Amino acid sequence: MTARLAKFWRSMPLRLALLLVALFTAVSLLSLAASYGFTQRSFEQAMRADLRQDLAGFRAAPNARAVAALVEAESREADPNRMVLSYIAPSGRIFGNGAIARDEAGFHIISLDRDRAQYDGAYLSLTDRLHGGIITIARSRAEIEALGGVFLNILLISLLPTALIALSGGLVLARRSKRHVEMVGRALDRMTGGDLGARVVVGPRWSDDLAQIGGKLNQMATAQEASVTALKQVSSDIAHDLKTPLQRVALQLEDLEGKVPPDSEEAELVARTRAEVADMGHVFQALLQLAQVEAGSARSRFAPVDLAQVCQTLVEVYEPSAGDSGHRLTLEIAADVPKVRGDRALLGQMVSNLIENALRHTPVGSQITIRLSQHAAGRVWLQVADTGPGIPVKERDKVLDRLYRLDRSRNTPGNGLGLSLVAAVAALHGAELILGDNEPGLKVDLRF
Amino acid sequence: MKLLVIEDDATTGRYIAKGLREEGHVVDLVADGREGLIAATAGGHDVLILDRMLPQVDGLTLLKTLRGAGSKVPVLLLTAMGDVDDRIEGLRAGADDYLAKPFVFGELSARVAALSRRPQAMEAETVLRSGDLEMNLITRTVTRAGQVLDLLPREFALLEHLLRRKGRVQTRTMLLEAVWDIGFDPGTNVVETHISRLRAKVDRPFDKEIIQTVRGAGYRIAA
Repeated sequence: MTARLAKFWRSMPLRLALLLVALFTAVSLLSLAASYGFTQRSFEQAMRADLRQDLAGFRAAPNARAVAALVEAESREADPNRMVLSYIAPSGRIFGNGAIARDEAGFHIISLDRDRAQYDGAYLSLTDRLHGGIITIARSRAEIEALGGVFLNILLISLLPTALIALSGGLVLARRSKRHVEMVGRALDRMTGGDLGARVVVGPRWSDDLAQIGGKLNQMATAQEASVTALKQVSSDIAHDLKTPLQRVALQLEDLEGKVPPDSEEAELVARTRAEVADMGHVFQALLQLAQVEAGSARSRFAPVDLAQVCQTLVEVYEPSAGDSGHRLTLEIAADVPKVRGDRALLGQMVSNLIENALRHTPVGSQITIRLSQHAAGRVWLQVADTGPGIPVKERDKVLDRLYRLDRSRNTPGNGLGLSLVAAVAALHGAELILGDNEPGLKVDLRF
Repeated sequence: MKLLVIEDDATTGRYIAKGLREEGHVVDLVADGREGLIAATAGGHDVLILDRMLPQVDGLTLLKTLRGAGSKVPVLLLTAMGDVDDRIEGLRAGADDYLAKPFVFGELSARVAALSRRPQAMEAETVLRSGDLEMNLITRTVTRAGQVLDLLPREFALLEHLLRRKGRVQTRTMLLEAVWDIGFDPGTNVVETHISRLRAKVDRPFDKEIIQTVRGAGYRIAA
């Protein structure tokens, strides 16, 4: 779940949506803060105007007694939480519903009610001398402060839907693009799997960049398909042009063989030539097969293959030959070796080439061991080891090249293509091929 | 038998036709796909030998057309490619057997013979015989002149395969395909060594040779 979330978080559209939400919030906050400040100021100005007007009303009173009477009358009406009136008469007597006091912290409005000492909250006040006394009018700032709440509400109301819409839009886009990316991925998987006919089907609602990637991918696959087709064509042309004359020679030699006296020198020559022609045929065949294995089209018919059974059959096939040539051929199969996805015929030929190789290049009395086990859970490990002369370290890579042969093997049968095919089949199946030292001998490891 | 050979290479075609005629078959030889299709649809052939790469109408197209028209004539496909892909494609198109070039005539002849008898259902015999050799398929025992022969399972299978096809040559590749299910050429003389081990048990202690070697082709048990 967390992994999925993490993956989702890395999706581009979702990140964009979140970024937009953040940006939008910041801009809204700024503009709201500005209009809040502006509104607050104009409220304050209006309030100060009110205060001046209030004062003007008291100034109209003819004398101190009249002011005191007015203040008393008005303060009885007024809510001290909203408005405080105070008149300190020349006699020192305080009229109204509050008094202004001053200490180190500043001005305070002292309540004249017995129950409470001081009014809470902030007030805006105006003080003036009037008829020998001091009049103070204070209006509560509560209304202005209430503005803050109002603006916060506006912020929430306007921001919440925007954020929700942007986020869900981002989610939808993210999911859609994830789906599209997955479609591109699946097409790629099929292409690397050998199905060069696979294409990305770009939908009308795809984003431009993905559609472009899909299009390029299709172009690439088409080009590759064309080159594989061309390769096949070249291979089949070579096959046809080289094998047709070879076929004629083979049939003519066979005809000739029937015409020369058996057991004569001529008959022996014809037999030798026939063998040479057969070898040439095998080389062509091997080169063609190598080209086709490397082209990877066999991947499209991969199926589970029981390598244990393949090895058993081949050991059985080679056992009499190995016995006749003085080799010991043994097979060790671990319990529960899983199947390998692949092409049974090619895997069989690979194992066969390895056995053949070991039989050819090791002296009488050599031990050839085929081991089948797992190098990790569910991963098949095939090893063909012999006790022959082995392959020098610096030649180990070269022997996988086409037609390469060790100097000491020049006179043994073989065409230098057996190990190349092993390498090609291993690569086709994604198996790691390592030629190592069996101390003494050659150890070929294949890790699927 | 009456055979139709469709092969565009004149020399190859001529040698195939000549060899098959020497074996006593009647052979029609055509050199392109269009004529081949006309000759094949005319019918009356026991086996078709068809080259895959042909001028006019390609061998695979010809084969598909023929099968589409309901023809069940056994077809041996000859091909210069001869890899697994190609083989699968050929068999899918309706070929009964497949031979990669360059081949030797003995291989072609043996495969044509095998194809011509394919339609006959294999008899449900319980005992196979050749001369004084007897193979009991139920008890899975083999005796020769009353003497029990001790065969390994695969030797038994090899002998059974040859006995079931008495009188017909089985080539090395045919034996590899049938007995071991191996479709590629393992190179060394693996089949020879298996045959020689089988002979050591079946023939060596006795006077008459039952498993015969056919020069340049393969092995056969006399009918």
